[in-house]
Amino acid sequence: MWMHPWKYIEGWSICTGLFITGMVLQLTTGSIEVDMFHYPVNLISGTVFILLLLFLHIYARKVVILQWFSGFEASITASVSLLVLVIIMGLTRQVSSPTDLSSIGGFARTGFMQMTTSWSFFLLFIYFLSILGLVILRRINCFRWKDAGFVLNHVGLFVALFAAILGSGDLQRLRMTASLDTPEWRATNEKNEITELPLAIELKSFRIDEYPPKLMILDNVTGKTLPETQPKSLLVETYPLLSTLLNWEVAITNYLSEAAALITEDTVSFVGFQSEGATSALYVKARNTIDGTIREGWVSCGSFMFPYRSLRLNDKESLIMPNREPKHFASNVIVYTQSKKIKKSLIEVNKPLSIAGWKIYQLNYDESMGKWSRISVFELVKDPWIPAVYSGILMMLAGAVYLFVSAPNPKKN
Amino acid sequence: MNWTHFVYFALPAALCWVGGALFAYKNDAYRRTIILTAFGLCIFFAFILGMWISLERPPLRTMGETRLWYSFFLPVAGLIMYIRWRYKWILSFSTLMALVFICINLFRPEIHNKTMMPALQSPWFAPHVIVYMFAYAVLGAAAVIALYLLLRRNKAIMNVSVMSLCDNLAYVGTAFLTIGMLFGAIWAKDAWGHYWSWDPKETWAAATWLSYLIYIHYRQHKPSHYTIALGLLLFSFILLQVCWYGINYLPSAQGSSIHVYS
Repeated sequence: MWMHPWKYIEGWSICTGLFITGMVLQLTTGSIEVDMFHYPVNLISGTVFILLLLFLHIYARKVVILQWFSGFEASITASVSLLVLVIIMGLTRQVSSPTDLSSIGGFARTGFMQMTTSWSFFLLFIYFLSILGLVILRRINCFRWKDAGFVLNHVGLFVALFAAILGSGDLQRLRMTASLDTPEWRATNEKNEITELPLAIELKSFRIDEYPPKLMILDNVTGKTLPETQPKSLLVETYPLLSTLLNWEVAITNYLSEAAALITEDTVSFVGFQSEGATSALYVKARNTIDGTIREGWVSCGSFMFPYRSLRLNDKESLIMPNREPKHFASNVIVYTQSKKIKKSLIEVNKPLSIAGWKIYQLNYDESMGKWSRISVFELVKDPWIPAVYSGILMMLAGAVYLFVSAPNPKKN
Repeated sequence: MNWTHFVYFALPAALCWVGGALFAYKNDAYRRTIILTAFGLCIFFAFILGMWISLERPPLRTMGETRLWYSFFLPVAGLIMYIRWRYKWILSFSTLMALVFICINLFRPEIHNKTMMPALQSPWFAPHVIVYMFAYAVLGAAAVIALYLLLRRNKAIMNVSVMSLCDNLAYVGTAFLTIGMLFGAIWAKDAWGHYWSWDPKETWAAATWLSYLIYIHYRQHKPSHYTIALGLLLFSFILLQVCWYGINYLPSAQGSSIHVYS
C-alpha cells in the first residue's frame, strides 16, 4: 500500500480517511454554515479550486502519484463512497432546520439527518468533484473528436455540480403573502426574517378552478374513508348520475356547484347561491345493495361560511363529500419594479413570472377560505448562477444522447 | 375509455407480441417480426391514448398507469434492440415481462382517480415519466440477464458477447435515466423554484444513477471481472426499485416527498 502504482486499496483508504475527518469535524464543530458562502466568497473559493486543479494537473507530469487521481481507481472509489452517503441519506429522515434536531438526541450529531450540510458529505463531494475535474483536464489535454461524448458528459456534470454548489450561497428564496388590491414589497426568508424587495406585487384577483365533487364513504367510528387501505371515491362529473360506491347504489338527482345551506331547526337543505362563501352540494339517494335500505339527503363539503353536511347511511357508514380538489389556481397581479416598470401578469403553478432577475411562483392561498381566498402566497427566487447550471444540464443531455447512440455494438466489431 | 376496456386491447396486443417473439426465431421472418410487434404496440398505445383523452390528462399518475407505460415500453425496447443487434430471444423476453405487468393491471386494478394536482399539470410531466419508464424497462432487462448469468455461473455461458449485451442495455438505460432526471430538474425549476431539493425520490434517483455510472466505469476498467460487474448491475436495479415504489414504504420518506403516487 502507498507504493507506486496505487490501486483500489489506496482509494478506499483516502475515502475512509475523508469520512473519518468529516465525522471528527462534525462532532466537534457541528454542521457546515452555508450562509457564509455567498458572493464574493463563493466566487473566490471557486476560482481557487479551479486553479488548484490546474496546478495539480500540470504538476502531475512530474509527480507520477498524482496521475492516479485521474484514473479509474480514484473515480470508482470516490463514486462508491459518495453513493454510500447518498444511500444513508435516503434511509435517514432528513430535517431542514437544526431546531428539529434537538429532540432527536445523539444520532443527530452524526450529521446524517442533514446530510447535505454535514462535513463527511462535503469532503467526499469535493473530493469527487476534484477527481472529476482532474479526469476532464487529462482527457482534454489530448482531445480527439471521438472524445466528444465523454467531454459532454463529464464537463456537463462538473459544470452543473460546481455551479450548483457555488450558487447555493447566493440563492434567495422568499415568501410573500399578497392581499387583494394592496401592493406588497415585504417578504420573509426561510428563517422568517422580513426582507424588503426591490419590487412590489399587487394582487388584483385570485381564481381557483376545481375538479368536480367526489363522494366517499366514511367509517362513523374511526373517521377514516373506506376501504381503509385504498379509499374508493365516486367522481360526480354529470348529473343525474347512477353509480355504485362500495355496497351502495348511489343516485345523484341534484347538483349545485355554488350553493348556500338553509338551516332550520330540524332540516338542512341547499339552494343556489352565486356569491362569496358558496359551497357545493349534491342531493343523493343511496340504496344498500345487500339489505335494500334507502337513505336520501344533501351532502356538501361546506365552506368557511357553511358547515359541511354528510349523509348517515347506517350505524357504521356515512356518505361524505371531501373538499373539492383544485384543478388550477392563478393570480392576476401587477408587479412594480424600482426602474418604474409596471407589468400586469397572470401567475400560475408551473408558469412563474420572470422579472428583474426574480422568478415569481404561485405557491399557495388561504386554504380555509378555499376558492374565496382574498390572499395569494408567492415564492420569489433569485438564483444568479442558474445559467451556469443550465449550461451543464444541456451538456449532459447532449452527452446522454451520445451515450445512447454510441453504445458499443458487438456486431460491428 | 376506462379500465374495463383494458382487456380488449391488452389481449390482442399481447397476442401480436407473442407472435412477433416466435417469428424472431425463424431465419427469414425479420420483417414479419417487426410488423407484428409494431402492430401490437399500436393496439396497446390506442388504449393509452383513449385513457389519455377520457381522463383529460396523461395517464401517468397512479402506479397502475405507470405500469401501463412500462408494459408498452418493454416491447418497444425489445424491438429497438432486435432491430439494432438482432438478438433472437430479446422479444420473447420483453413480451414475457410486458405480460407480467399487463396481468398485474388486469388482476389487481387499483382505484384510478381522474384528478391531478396543479403542480403535475406541466408539459414536462409526460416526457419526464415516459423517459424514466423506458429506462426502467431497459434496465429491468439488464437486471434479469445479470441474475440469470450469476445463478448459472458455472455453465461457461459467460463470454464477451453476453457481457457486451449487458453493457448495451446499461448504456441505453443510463442514458435515458440521465435524460429523465435532467427533464425532472428543469421542470422542478419551473414548478417549485429549485432544480434539485433532495426530496426522497430525488435522493434515491441520485443513488441509482451513481450506481449505474459505477457499473459503466468498472466495466471499462476491469472488462474481464464479470461477477462484480453483474453484482453491481443487480444492486443498481435494487436501488431503482427503492426509487420507483420502495420509498412509499420507507419510514424515512414518509410525508416528505412531493413524488407520491396515489
